[in-house]
Amino acid sequence: MSPLALPRLLAPVAVGALVLGTGCSAGSGDGSEMTIGFTAEPASLDFTTDDGVAIPEVLLTNVYEGLVELDADGEVRPALAESWDVSDDRRTYTFQLQPDVTFSDGESFTAEDVKFSIERAQEEWTISVADVMDVVDSVTVDSPTEVTVELSQPSNAWLYAMTTRVGAMFSPTGVDNLDTDPVGTGPYEVADWTRGDSITLQRRDDYWGERPAMETVEFRYFDDENALNNAMLTGDLDVISNVAAAESLDQFTGDDRYQVIEGTTNGEVVLALNHDRDVFSDKRVRRAIAHAIDQEALLETVWSGHGELIGSMVPPTDPWYEDLSDVHPHDPERAEELLEEAGVTDLTLDFPVPNLPYAMDTAQVVQSDLAEVGITTEIEPLEFPAVWLEDVFTGHDYDMTVIQHSEGRDMPTFGDPDYYWGYDNEEVQDLLDRADRSGGDERVEHMRHAADILATDVAAVFLYLQPMLVVADSEVEGLPENRVSESFDVTGLSRG
Amino acid sequence: MASRILRKGLIFLVSLVSASVVVFAFMAVLPGDPARVALGTNATPEAVARLHEEYGTDRPALVQYWDWVSGLAVGDFGRSYVTGVQIGPQILDRFQVTLWLVLSAMVVALLIALPLGIAAAMRHRRLSGTLLSGLSQVGVAVPNFLVGIMLITLFSVHLRWLPSGGWTPPAEDPWGFAQRLLLPAVSLGLVQGAILTRYVRSAILDVLREDFLRTARAKGLRPHQALLRHGLRNAAIPVVTVLALQLATLLVGAVVIERVFVIPGLGSLLLDGVGDRDLLLVQGVVMVLVLAVLLINFVVDVLYTVLDPRIRTAAP
Amino acid sequence: MSGVADHGGGWNGDRAATEARGAARTVNASLVTGGVLVATVILTALLSFLWTPHDPVHNDSGARLLDAGSPGHWLGTDKFGRDVASQLMAGARITLLVGVVAVGIAAVVGTPLGILAGMARRGVGEFLMRVNDLVLAFPALLLAIMFGAVFGAGTLTAMVAIGIATIPNFARIARGGTLQVLSHDYVQAARAAGRRPVGIALRHVLPNISGLVTVQCSVSFAIAILAEAALSFLGFGTRPPTPSWGRMLQESQELLFSAPALALWPGLAIALAVLGFNLLGDGLRDRLDPRLAERRT
Repeated sequence: MSPLALPRLLAPVAVGALVLGTGCSAGSGDGSEMTIGFTAEPASLDFTTDDGVAIPEVLLTNVYEGLVELDADGEVRPALAESWDVSDDRRTYTFQLQPDVTFSDGESFTAEDVKFSIERAQEEWTISVADVMDVVDSVTVDSPTEVTVELSQPSNAWLYAMTTRVGAMFSPTGVDNLDTDPVGTGPYEVADWTRGDSITLQRRDDYWGERPAMETVEFRYFDDENALNNAMLTGDLDVISNVAAAESLDQFTGDDRYQVIEGTTNGEVVLALNHDRDVFSDKRVRRAIAHAIDQEALLETVWSGHGELIGSMVPPTDPWYEDLSDVHPHDPERAEELLEEAGVTDLTLDFPVPNLPYAMDTAQVVQSDLAEVGITTEIEPLEFPAVWLEDVFTGHDYDMTVIQHSEGRDMPTFGDPDYYWGYDNEEVQDLLDRADRSGGDERVEHMRHAADILATDVAAVFLYLQPMLVVADSEVEGLPENRVSESFDVTGLSRG
Repeated sequence: MASRILRKGLIFLVSLVSASVVVFAFMAVLPGDPARVALGTNATPEAVARLHEEYGTDRPALVQYWDWVSGLAVGDFGRSYVTGVQIGPQILDRFQVTLWLVLSAMVVALLIALPLGIAAAMRHRRLSGTLLSGLSQVGVAVPNFLVGIMLITLFSVHLRWLPSGGWTPPAEDPWGFAQRLLLPAVSLGLVQGAILTRYVRSAILDVLREDFLRTARAKGLRPHQALLRHGLRNAAIPVVTVLALQLATLLVGAVVIERVFVIPGLGSLLLDGVGDRDLLLVQGVVMVLVLAVLLINFVVDVLYTVLDPRIRTAAP
Repeated sequence: MSGVADHGGGWNGDRAATEARGAARTVNASLVTGGVLVATVILTALLSFLWTPHDPVHNDSGARLLDAGSPGHWLGTDKFGRDVASQLMAGARITLLVGVVAVGIAAVVGTPLGILAGMARRGVGEFLMRVNDLVLAFPALLLAIMFGAVFGAGTLTAMVAIGIATIPNFARIARGGTLQVLSHDYVQAARAAGRRPVGIALRHVLPNISGLVTVQCSVSFAIAILAEAALSFLGFGTRPPTPSWGRMLQESQELLFSAPALALWPGLAIALAVLGFNLLGDGLRDRLDPRLAERRT
């Protein structure tokens, strides 16, 4: 038996593999396609029971649409609803629907589907963001193109939520296999999903609105951001959805084959302090930590200076934004004084961190900064999302952690004392509650006030706002300027 | 001999069952509640309990084990807790990818090891032979993922000759498939090739000392002629053995290479499963890998019994 | 893999004398080169306890990503502004620690098991070797990933997992050596004279197989270093801020384009350390058993 006999021996297996390779469906059309790289693949395609942000990222706006959507400045604008009226007591919303809208399975979209979708979000959805639908008292079908929603109390959060995945419109005939086979009214449908590799969206010929330029858009998923960057460099990708490490931008800037677009996001990166821990009940200790961290240097190290310092739980795209990044300037001496006043010595903190690049980098800088003022931290990398959710988020088993809060307008989490940071401040709770019920300037005033308290009281250390760094071939046009919605909107993409 | 093989088969089966118990027991202590992960951030305790009931994770461990293992016997790996997808087809899909990678890595390893090993043996005790041996030593010492990183830097990022990763099914685009396979196969195969070179060299050296070869040379055959005509076949047995055992090493070593080159193989599936706390999936993948290792060892063992008369007579 | 070398075929003794001279040269080369490399790693690790150019875990946002040769930083700094040379020195500690603990576990558990398997009644010996084969079915990397998932990633879990996965190598070597020792007449005689098994194991078997075990230690050390590097690379190994060569490599990946040297130094360190232990193992094997010098595998 010669050594060469071995490959021959195994050849039948190899041939079997060849035959079983998956194929892409090639539809009719102009053949235009674009490939976009991402770092997190959805676990399933069902965002009604699965909580990952990667699912709405690919499906919302592209495959599913809501009655309303967000524009790049964070304003609510019409989508499946042509227009809507709000009653004076701000509890009744009447939506006029677009006529002639169909789902990708051929069924038409009517007011019945709105009723079905909202009631389904109340009853069937298992993820927590759907709780916002609790405020809906009733949904009434007035005509096939008109629907009225009654709220039990005025809620700004509700209309905002209708722009997110919670507001996505489903068809009663299209919810049987949500985890693999989504059916929506959007301009694209899912043509192929090769697990561990890519999701291919195929343009629908019968879409009601403006027809997108790209016939197919492939979302390719990478475990590792370096592989993602390399794929861009070798021409496999047209767009990198978000660069995970600023250092890797160097390879694209100054090269006229590429364009780099920097925008803002809703992703506040927060150093969460567990308020259930005795040591953090002393405000001086919290302030000491805030003073100890050189946030500017932190942003420089982690994001090469991209991103923004925010100082509270508000991104600049929200109407109640105020620059609060100077409330606790970097001042190690002051930090040491505060610790001394509080009588805290030899402080050692348990510091579990999600094993994501930005979080691990941030944690290492925080660790080094805190060491300067005599606070020892023990970094424990946890798999994200599974273990971090279990230990930190659900189990509250942590002293400090770093995490990006990527949902839009998520400041109300500080009004919930059971949320993982255990922040229990009646004044903040009251302000947030009043803000949700009130309209116009009054609402902005309350929100701004609450944000100010969060910053001065060090409810958490608000480190920075995650930047959006999109890299694309120079000829790609129509990329989103900011990431303020949950979706990566591909409907406007084209090649110049 | 038949009874000997039968006995080995029996041992293989017992090992397999024992391995399944070990894997199951191990995963039973895995922290992280899959129901909670699937339900997201603010799941109610009732919802978690309901999901446990649905998964069957509220039943006694023995019942769960039996359920799992009896499913395995007919190729049913169950449904993922996290995604709800059937695990069996998913593993099969990923296994094909890993198999392509591993087999092509073996080809690379052979292409390196055969010429270098034979050359090193023939030039034995000459400077060039020693240099070749030294080179193989250096090759063994380099981690395969470092080779991968260096190859990507050179051939993908700087020269832009080859893609840096990803996967194209061969049926879809054979050329793209080959392009994407090349760098990972070389990364994985280079180090194994270095190891294999050392075995080839020693096997050839052994053969060179055998009497029949000396006889052949006495009859006037030049060294490489003698080696080609009589020696290679005899050197093949130990080399094929090593090769088969390397197959097991490669299967697991592919985990890192798949990560570097973003290849959707069994290794990526395992790491993703661990990250998602997808218990059944991890159990399934580990079991498949362990099965592969045990099976390879068993086959080598049987082949040995059949092929090598020395072992047959010398065996206790 | 260690079991494979036994199948290499018969040894033809009559050539030994003629080849001994040639062998002696390579023996020394391996032993000396390996010894020097290993000694360098050990001395670096020891020195790092007393002195490093900078605090290896100190971040300096003003000195990020300096090139090699910068004043005060011979090998430059990483993205946190940490001194690379200091990290490399301190990283040698983790490398050695992982090696010592993993190989320690494997040798201390595996060697007695192997001797027991060799000396016990055939059924017991067989059974032990079957269990051994079962452990062998869980390669180090796989076991370490499983351990990492269950007990949390970290140096300790990595060391223990690598150690357990390496036990079978020692057990196999020890059993083979034991069987050989037992076949000697004087040992047979001692057994016949009613010497207690423990006595025979300690007096005759252990001293005679200690060479084999030492060689295995060196080779396993190299494997443990590689495994730790791979695990840290995958994020299942040493936690930050403790410097580790594998994690340095992983952290350098995103900077491959702008600062490729950051990957070069830890990569070189790993390769040289592994090379050192492999060569040392080879050299030792040849020294302990000159007859095997020709078949260095």
